[in-house]
Amino acid sequence: MKAQAKVSPPKVGILRFLGTNCDRDVWQAVESVGLKPEWLWHEDHFEAKDYSALILPGGFSYGDYLRCGALAARSPVMQSLRQAVSRGVPVLGICNGFQILCESGLLPGALLPNQGGRFIDDWVELTLENSKADWAPQAVGSSIRLPIAHGDGRYFIQEEGLKRIEDQGQIWWRYKSNPNGSVADIAGVSDESGRVVGLMPHPERALWDWMGGVDGRGFFI
Amino acid sequence: MEAKLAHYRLSESEYDRICELLGRPPQGLEWALFSALWSEHCSYKSSRRHLKKFYSQSARVLESFGENAGVIDLGEGERLAFKMESHNHPSYIEPYQGAATGVGGILRDIFTMGARPIALANYLCFGEASTTIMPHLVDGVVRGIAGYGNCVGVPTVTGQTEFHSSYNGNILVNAMAVGLFAPGDPVVTSKAQGVGNLVVYVGAKTGRDGVHGASMASESFAEDSEKKRPTVQIGDPFYEKLLIESCLEVIGRGLVVAIQDMGAAGLTSSSFEMAAKGGVGLKLFLDRVPLRQEDIGPEEILLSESQERMLLIAQPENLKAIQEVFFRWGLEAQVIGEVIEAKEVELFWGPECLVRIDPLLLTDNAPNYDRAHQPWHHPHRAESLNDLVASGPSLKSGDSAWVEELKGLLASVQGCSREWVHHQYDQRVGGRTAQDAHHSVASLRLADSDRALGFTLGLRPYLMRFDARQGAMDAVAYPALELASQGFLPLAMTDCLNFGNPENPKIMSEFVASIEGMSEVCRELDVPVISGNVSFYNETQGQNITSTPSTGLVGLRNKVTSGPQGRWRQASDEIYILSLPMLHCSGQWAEWAQSSASLKGWGEIQAEGVKGLIQVLLELSAWEEGVTALRPVGKMGLAYTLARMGLESDQALGAQVDLSNWTPQGCADLKGAQRFLALAFYETLYQMVVTVKPGRGDELEEKLGHWQQSLSSLEWAHLGQVEESGFLEIRDHAEVLRLSVDEMQDIWRNAWRNHFATLA
Repeated sequence: MKAQAKVSPPKVGILRFLGTNCDRDVWQAVESVGLKPEWLWHEDHFEAKDYSALILPGGFSYGDYLRCGALAARSPVMQSLRQAVSRGVPVLGICNGFQILCESGLLPGALLPNQGGRFIDDWVELTLENSKADWAPQAVGSSIRLPIAHGDGRYFIQEEGLKRIEDQGQIWWRYKSNPNGSVADIAGVSDESGRVVGLMPHPERALWDWMGGVDGRGFFI
Repeated sequence: MEAKLAHYRLSESEYDRICELLGRPPQGLEWALFSALWSEHCSYKSSRRHLKKFYSQSARVLESFGENAGVIDLGEGERLAFKMESHNHPSYIEPYQGAATGVGGILRDIFTMGARPIALANYLCFGEASTTIMPHLVDGVVRGIAGYGNCVGVPTVTGQTEFHSSYNGNILVNAMAVGLFAPGDPVVTSKAQGVGNLVVYVGAKTGRDGVHGASMASESFAEDSEKKRPTVQIGDPFYEKLLIESCLEVIGRGLVVAIQDMGAAGLTSSSFEMAAKGGVGLKLFLDRVPLRQEDIGPEEILLSESQERMLLIAQPENLKAIQEVFFRWGLEAQVIGEVIEAKEVELFWGPECLVRIDPLLLTDNAPNYDRAHQPWHHPHRAESLNDLVASGPSLKSGDSAWVEELKGLLASVQGCSREWVHHQYDQRVGGRTAQDAHHSVASLRLADSDRALGFTLGLRPYLMRFDARQGAMDAVAYPALELASQGFLPLAMTDCLNFGNPENPKIMSEFVASIEGMSEVCRELDVPVISGNVSFYNETQGQNITSTPSTGLVGLRNKVTSGPQGRWRQASDEIYILSLPMLHCSGQWAEWAQSSASLKGWGEIQAEGVKGLIQVLLELSAWEEGVTALRPVGKMGLAYTLARMGLESDQALGAQVDLSNWTPQGCADLKGAQRFLALAFYETLYQMVVTVKPGRGDELEEKLGHWQQSLSSLEWAHLGQVEESGFLEIRDHAEVLRLSVDEMQDIWRNAWRNHFATLA
């Protein structure tokens, strides 16, 4: 988001679906780095040019009834989001936001119930696999520590698809120690352009020392 | 008539009282109304007169009992609402939904006031892990709490999980919620006001679930409790999330006159209580209540405990705006009545008035019993520490087998890690969590003032089994000491008084002694009880639970990060023990070592002493250049506490501790193994482990000497150092306990899975 923030309008749109519950946390994160957040309601349409970036926060959109993210992926606001993607606006999906991007076909793969069948709240270590994503540009191979909190975080993609995203450098983050049974330890992926990204861990929960870590800040600066 | 009284769970004397109040026998729906509102659950008929003894007022208290939750002033425009409530009976019958709806109900009590819920906690008591049904109950309850709390987006940041055979047939599930009013947020109450104002029903539609739930909760369990499944409610956390956002929006915009959750006894209790508190009447059209299915009659509508529903009072001109807000959040707001001048509640079904009754007959005129109880005598007394040790159980693992004894405690279901539980809860949603459930005190950052709120639960059931008065005093004192040791000034508390059958004088005596003990400490510490809940009849087939008055305390610290932690911080830190001895007991170790043993004790908790110690801890914790760790010696005594401080440290730090120079009050005559047992495994209320940075020992002793002038029984000793050796070593003359931190880690963290091998 670095490059865009300077030349484009500085507003960061935060999508809110019924049941989104990390919306205020993401708002706090965006504000804390001096950018201007704005709500985008699930029923609304918006103009791509008004936003320098878009974020889909975590939560339980529509109660996670049906598959996680399936209902949200079909909301009116997602039509505008698709247009924004085609115009090159960077998009970040966190946790349930990642699930929504997968359900809407903007990101490859799917997120299944955790191995073991339980919700997991913990801190995990991640390794950056590819840095072509617009979000959190860092050196490939660098490690960060972020919290996870999910019941359906097991990333899955068929073998053929896995090979494709590996070849095209779309694997964004991998877990150092796989908490949920994700294929190839995948914690986050990007689309082919590297502009649309999603991850299960929560960078907005690691902004200040008092939160237990600061590695999430890089995602919002 | 007998059958009718049994059906509505009313006694003959209550029937006579109803006839007297009405001037005639009750008719039609009146039976259901009296049954619900005069139930123990709604009327507090066995506890009311005793609850009045609670210390409940201080300059900080804005709202107290009588409202959905208590509210305190934090200064700088911030205020806090919090409350704790039980959901014991439903959780035994259907653990997932019982626990889930317990969380939902307590959250509604908070956001009803206009506060945004920011944290949850749970106090859970289960039976023996080895019983057939217990793993299923543990699993269901934890999943239920996780399923609801995680989805509504309120972090579960702390909790306490206990095990004892007295809960085999009656588990306890107590949930606490904390809500924050940011500067400028209004506080609303449940007082219906303004003749002509509308009664608006919002949230989920009404179904048959939970009909007669309140009166079920007011009865002991019999063998047929499984048959009560239909009275358990089903929760929908997604709906609750929508209700939180929409209710906070209408309250924040000033569109609401009064609002109340439809909790126990549903529409009946909410409408009658709102009318009674506001001193007005209500006209309600029951046929306008949104229903899940068409064939539900007026009595079921009145008593349904369907979840996620609210009743609000609004001026007619605001109705449109209110409906728009709820519609936007995917919910309905339906007018079902209005406020009237006559102080009566009128219930209509179409044009027909089914009931017209003064609400005060059902609320303020409910029975108020003075159940038989005796003045408290202190049971299980020893005459001295020597007597205590001589009459206590011997080591489970054999003479001087200290390593095995400590390993046994770390592996016990009472002493092992609760990670399995906490990892299933979202502990960070909301972006405020500064300390999660891995710490003894949870803490949350208050964004507007950049301060920290501390939050912890209390009550150690084994102390209740020893002496209810002492256990109840400790339920206030111990969490207050935990807060103060991390620099939080204890501000206020809530409680959940779980007891057996109040008609049993032994139980009632424990209840009264508990309230008096708690209140004495609350008054001394200026920690008012601002809200709470009573759960009686926790009895199954004649077996009463351990009397369990659980507590939740909050405290405030001016800085978000500061103060010592409850674990080793760095090698070479100097370890001290600090003691203000009041009560010595054989502690939880004794119960573990010999399951049939009753704890014995010597001495008594002194509220004044607790206050003095809290002052010392607040000053110590503020000494940032010196103090690194500060933790009360808790359950299972000093050896276990020292082990925990290493287990929770970042680099598995060890410690070298020598007790040889530590001869606290009453221990002078003890020698050898008996002395080691008393010092390292028994419990002295209250002791603290303190570490200071290398070279700061003299300054610490100077400070302690100063404080001793006002707290003459304060004792201390230098015990040793924190080490990188990877071993915890505790010596006392010839007795030695030496154990690797890695081995302890292995035992402590894996024991849960061994106790509950059937759970993934």
